[in-house]
Amino acid sequence: MMRKEAPIARFWDEFRESRIAVAALVVVALMIGVALLAPLIAPQNPYDLANLVLSDARRPPGYVGSGGYTHWLGTDAQGRDLLSAILYGLRISLQMGLVAGAFAFAIGVTLGIAAAYLGGRREAFIMRVIDLQLAFPAILLALVISALLGQGKAQLVTALVAAQYAYFARTAHGAASAERGKDYVEAALSTPLPARQVIWRHILPNCLPPLIVVATVQVANAIALEATLSFLGVGLPVTEPSLGSLIANGFQYMLSGRYWISIYPGLALILLIVAINLVGDQIRDQVNPRLKR
Amino acid sequence: MRADAAAAPLLEVTDLTTQFFTRAGVVKAVDGVSFSLRRGEVMGLVGESGSGKSVTGFSIIGLIDPPGRVAGGSVKLEGHELVGLPPDELRKLRGRVVSMVFQDPLMTLNPVLTIGEQIRLAIEAHEKVSAADARQRAIAGLAQVRIPRPEATVDFYPHQLSGGMRQRVAIAIALLHRPKLIICDEPTTALDVSIQAEILAEMKELVAELGTALIWISHDLATVASIAQHVAVMRLGKIVEAGPTLDVLTRPQHAYTRALLDALPSRAKPGELLLRGGGVPDAAPPARKPAAAAAAPVPGAPYFVADRVSKRFETRPSALRGLGQKLGLVQPPPAVMAVDDVSLIVPRGEALGLVGESGSGKSTLGRMAAGIYAPSSGTVRFEGRPVMSDGAEPKKLTTRVQTIFQDPFASLNPRMRIGDGIAEGPLAHGLVGKAGAAAYVRDWLAAVGLDPAFADRYPHQFSGGQRQRVAIARALAMQPDLVVCDEPVASLDVSIQAQIINLLMRLRAELGLTLIFISHDLSVVRHLCDRVAVMYRGRIVEEGPAGEVYDNPQHDYTRRLLAAVPVLPEAAA
Repeated sequence: MMRKEAPIARFWDEFRESRIAVAALVVVALMIGVALLAPLIAPQNPYDLANLVLSDARRPPGYVGSGGYTHWLGTDAQGRDLLSAILYGLRISLQMGLVAGAFAFAIGVTLGIAAAYLGGRREAFIMRVIDLQLAFPAILLALVISALLGQGKAQLVTALVAAQYAYFARTAHGAASAERGKDYVEAALSTPLPARQVIWRHILPNCLPPLIVVATVQVANAIALEATLSFLGVGLPVTEPSLGSLIANGFQYMLSGRYWISIYPGLALILLIVAINLVGDQIRDQVNPRLKR
Repeated sequence: MRADAAAAPLLEVTDLTTQFFTRAGVVKAVDGVSFSLRRGEVMGLVGESGSGKSVTGFSIIGLIDPPGRVAGGSVKLEGHELVGLPPDELRKLRGRVVSMVFQDPLMTLNPVLTIGEQIRLAIEAHEKVSAADARQRAIAGLAQVRIPRPEATVDFYPHQLSGGMRQRVAIAIALLHRPKLIICDEPTTALDVSIQAEILAEMKELVAELGTALIWISHDLATVASIAQHVAVMRLGKIVEAGPTLDVLTRPQHAYTRALLDALPSRAKPGELLLRGGGVPDAAPPARKPAAAAAAPVPGAPYFVADRVSKRFETRPSALRGLGQKLGLVQPPPAVMAVDDVSLIVPRGEALGLVGESGSGKSTLGRMAAGIYAPSSGTVRFEGRPVMSDGAEPKKLTTRVQTIFQDPFASLNPRMRIGDGIAEGPLAHGLVGKAGAAAYVRDWLAAVGLDPAFADRYPHQFSGGQRQRVAIARALAMQPDLVVCDEPVASLDVSIQAQIINLLMRLRAELGLTLIFISHDLSVVRHLCDRVAVMYRGRIVEEGPAGEVYDNPQHDYTRRLLAAVPVLPEAAA
């Protein structure tokens, strides 16, 4: 019985078995695609204030505005085409989520694996600091840091990373501690191989499965956290609206029947987060040895 | 009518077929197996892994989970057909009429219930019982399987008992309802040989006393020989040979049975190749890089020495408890002395066997010799130089001592191509250049009897025996002079074990290696080693040339150990 060559090929084979996960992956890919192509496919550049006509403001979905094209999802209080705003907002939300996720991954995994490898007091120190931080809700931490640093993309990413790296560190530490005691790591250490090689080529690759799961979920969380911060007004400035700021913009009109200004960005946000989580769930099921068939 | 019932077989299995439906196709795990068993009879079911012996046992009592199912044939217990019975009916039979004992009692006993509660649940599965009665029956049941102080043991949790005691509890549970048949699936495989001997002896008595029939499933011919009157040898889902134990083991008819027996080191002269005629022709190992001038031995020093080494395992106290200990409020827990002041000298070219049961400290001593653990006190020196550095973070200093681990499924990095795994050590230490690495790996794969084209495969694509060959190639590619082998054949089937033993003997001769060979299997050590050291509770209790220790053991423990090993009946000359 020959099994598939590379672990990644086997992984994909198993992934394909879940239709929901594949559908979610397609949704995520589509959303990333339209976000990347936003400047090409959006009817309007929502950042160019010259495009905004106040007489077009707060029009319902399907309205044909002064630009001569249809606003399929309506317009907001500034007369901005909502579809375009959502596409550009998606771009910013995804960007924030992925960049913050990548930094949090790098910092957290480095700390976690270093702690597990070093052991002793250094391990205890690193992990207690991380535990201490985990005791505070991520949103609180992100709020405080955002409020201190002010608005802007770099400031926001800093806040998100600070709120999230600890989850990666915890997971990486757990996985690396388990791998550290396994025979193949002992074999590598007793060869002896340099510590850097043992960590990079032996411990890290075997810690990746749980980390990938955390990474997927944390990217979704980062997007949600960013939206929350922007909604609360400490995230991104109104000139660069992410999905969160768009929802905040429309919030005051919710009760006057102009539901679309908040609802559509909200739906886009939900769709994105749910899809990423579904992909993450499938990966989690696949790497969970207890569910192995 | 009564006479009829006595003469009729208790269990009659005819043409039993169990299939597993997998993505790769249908696997016939059991393929047309037939046998019968009389009341009170003990039958051994022997085979290597994948032979279908366990699945046969599970099929009899309907414990096959999807994607597998019993596809055909019949299992008649006292004339009643079991195949096709609804799950509820089968459940009524299980535990009452037929019960089962599994290999690992840690897996089958519930860790959060006391022994007494588990026994009560097992009784309640088939009858109503009061709490007091259940307790009385539990105590009686434990006493029956020779558990000392059953009144106390009944309130223990499984983790408070040793492996042998846990297995006795599992047997007590199996016996609760006086079943007519017990199926034991490798019940002593996870146990030390002295515990195995006790359980075997007790099982024999119990079966005779209660008249229970027994199916004893095992990979070990010698254990089966010591308990079963009949034996069936299975291979690839079929019974290839069956008959009275003595006949099958002394006058095997089928080639496979003969091969199984030939693979046993206990039946060959020490040092002889096993499985005469069989085996893969292996290529010669690649040439060594000339030793660097810096590695000249310290004059006068023994080749390899463990000088009064001890290893203490301490549990690191939590911050609060540590403070308490410092203030003298809390007693520190006693440290475990895994190895206690052991000295050992291995001359160049010798193969030293380190034997002992689990917990004897042999693996810990081996790991100190291999430079994996730093000793708590004492030093390990190779050619007069310490194997590990001193200090808070000891590092291994030499590449000339290498290790082969027990479990080839754990000792190979699952995410690294085996070629990369073999090459990385020699590359890191300049034994081979980047340009020559691929050829070097291919040569080593050929030398351990693997196809050189396998270099870019991952460990999961190999069988257990092949993986152990890879692990051997990885250790030897470092061009060591001394190799610590930590139970290298313990997790392998006998025929694979024989191949790996042959490979180790051949490579040892060709490369002039010195070996420290750790094993719980006395026959393997006798076959491979010149000298033997017997470990017991962290100390070496007896040491000497292999022949002398085996034929004329001096220490009590050595005698007990040797007596506990089940022996195969000798072939009538």
